[in-house]
Amino acid sequence: MDLGTLANALILGVSIASIWLVAALGLTVIYGTAGVINMAHGELIMLGAYSTYMLQVYLGVPYLICIPASFVIVALVGLLLERGLIRYLYNRPLDTLLATCGVSLVLMQSVRLIFGSDPKYISVPEIFSSNIALGSVSISTFRVIILAVTALLVFGLWFLFYKTRFGVQVRAVMQNKEMAASFGINAGRVYMLTFSLGAGLAGVAGSLFGVLAIVLPTMGASYVVQSFLMVVVGGGSLAGSVAASAATGEMQSVLASFTNATLARFIIFVLIVVFLRFRPQGLFAQGGVRR
Amino acid sequence: MGNIYHDKKLQWLAYAVFFAAIGIVPLFVGDAFLLNQLATYGIYAMLALSISLCWGFGGILNLGQGISFGLGAYGMAMTMQMQTQTDSNPIPPFMLNNSLEHLPWFWEPFSSTAGGLIFAVAVPTFFCAVFGSIMFRARVSGVFFTIMTLAMLSAFYTIILDQQAYTGGANGLTPPASLQIGSFEIDPYSATAYWIVFALLCVATVLAKLLTQSSFGLVTQAIRDDAERVRFLGYNVAGYETAIYTISGMIAAIAGCCWVMLVQYVSPAQLDVSLSLSMVIWAAIGGRNSLLWAMIGAFLIQGGQSYLGDQFLSTWLLLLGGFFIVVVRFLPNGLASLAEAGLGWLSARLPSKSGRAIESVTAEEGA
Repeated sequence: MDLGTLANALILGVSIASIWLVAALGLTVIYGTAGVINMAHGELIMLGAYSTYMLQVYLGVPYLICIPASFVIVALVGLLLERGLIRYLYNRPLDTLLATCGVSLVLMQSVRLIFGSDPKYISVPEIFSSNIALGSVSISTFRVIILAVTALLVFGLWFLFYKTRFGVQVRAVMQNKEMAASFGINAGRVYMLTFSLGAGLAGVAGSLFGVLAIVLPTMGASYVVQSFLMVVVGGGSLAGSVAASAATGEMQSVLASFTNATLARFIIFVLIVVFLRFRPQGLFAQGGVRR
Repeated sequence: MGNIYHDKKLQWLAYAVFFAAIGIVPLFVGDAFLLNQLATYGIYAMLALSISLCWGFGGILNLGQGISFGLGAYGMAMTMQMQTQTDSNPIPPFMLNNSLEHLPWFWEPFSSTAGGLIFAVAVPTFFCAVFGSIMFRARVSGVFFTIMTLAMLSAFYTIILDQQAYTGGANGLTPPASLQIGSFEIDPYSATAYWIVFALLCVATVLAKLLTQSSFGLVTQAIRDDAERVRFLGYNVAGYETAIYTISGMIAAIAGCCWVMLVQYVSPAQLDVSLSLSMVIWAAIGGRNSLLWAMIGAFLIQGGQSYLGDQFLSTWLLLLGGFFIVVVRFLPNGLASLAEAGLGWLSARLPSKSGRAIESVTAEEGA
């Protein structure tokens, strides 16, 4: 393998990492703060893609405005979900997992009933479908857009969690819910807002992935497992997910250039199992007590 | 008197009635296709049993049971495929289509029927033992273990789908003839096939039930309730968890073998997340803490899907998802807890009768 191929693989790896990261961001927020295992995450991504599709087709909204709009729509769905179901299950993690599995089934079937099983397409401005040449490497503009959006979201989340009053409250609840509550923080409200935020982030991911691939009711299923792996390997923190996505994205890309994408994915999954054998708490373990 | 739901003798009686009821089915069903379909329900029951054993009695929620099921099914399909290959034609046709010259090494053991059947069950069981011991010794438990099983399932799914030359890819394997043991051919549409599934289900259930009542079963139930406390008492928690996970996987592997025997077909769909999730849904709705109710859950849901769902499959799945959420939210032990409450109410209403029964027993002992 010569240097040029390796450079290609590394640059493509950054793009893959950004895709894996943007899929996992919402889950990181939800799992990291509330410890909720949200198996419906993939379907929230799918809802994001469908809301973008609907906004485009029925209202003619330009694509770039669809992205934040999907955030709002899916965040509202998340809000309903949290108020109607999740909040009763916070102290039963296995049951949250099961209930959200049920939710994912319901969401997938509802979308299938409404829109049918045939694929939908999201159109993007002409300029996004071109390619950018970086030396010897050519990469599609849209992948650069995904990278930019991901970077923006990570920065936004960092700012929200570490620089605002709300962020301090979230971190306090994360470390010790009872103690935070006795200092007058409304823990229920914090959980509600973070769940909704996580769902919204899934919506953004959906509106991006809808362009990258086709929009199908079943599209979410493929993202949920890899997102969970990113969160588990990272240990549930924002920095952890960024590091885990970067590492696995690069590995995926380099391994894929030796073999093929599917085999690379298999090897990575096995490596993650081995990794967790030695570091079950993930890359960056969180200090707080989770309840 | 306590709740008669917890009476061990009556529980065995209930199992006997249950198996008697499903055992006499071939005497009434003449339609071969219906009998074949009913036999596949026996396989669903076996899978629900394995989930209930692992999850209800071991506290290990396994969303990757499709690995054991699928590997067992592939093993059986490979065995049946090799039975139809002759010396002049030693390689399955799909391999020739993918321009393979020789039989891959991992297909070799499946050339003999006995070896194939052993490997079909041994390989998934061995996988469970290795994967389980890696995970449980690292004290990966609860939801993390569930996610890791899901990841492994997804890994196996992709690799089987990808390696078309060796596994048949998305088309899967379709052995052209039914299973032959010695000179005896097992017609999947015959009562014989039904009896084989029935007998295996029966044996698996009895062994599983005995296991849950043994001291081993008591320790796994204690681990389910509080693993840390059991560890402090000096038990090797990882060993117990690995054992129950492996036993459960073996039952699923046997179910996989039976599945291919009945339908003569296997594809990566058997390793799809949705099937593994269905198994958990059966056990959850029926009642994961009861082997019997988990199996009833499988019958109810798969039966409902076949008889109500063919035309309204999407609506049915929507209802099923909704029902599942309701059960998880309000009825964590499934329909079994309704039966438990009902029988508890009944036992409370009949104190005199049970009391008299005890009196008569003591009287006999006195006499």
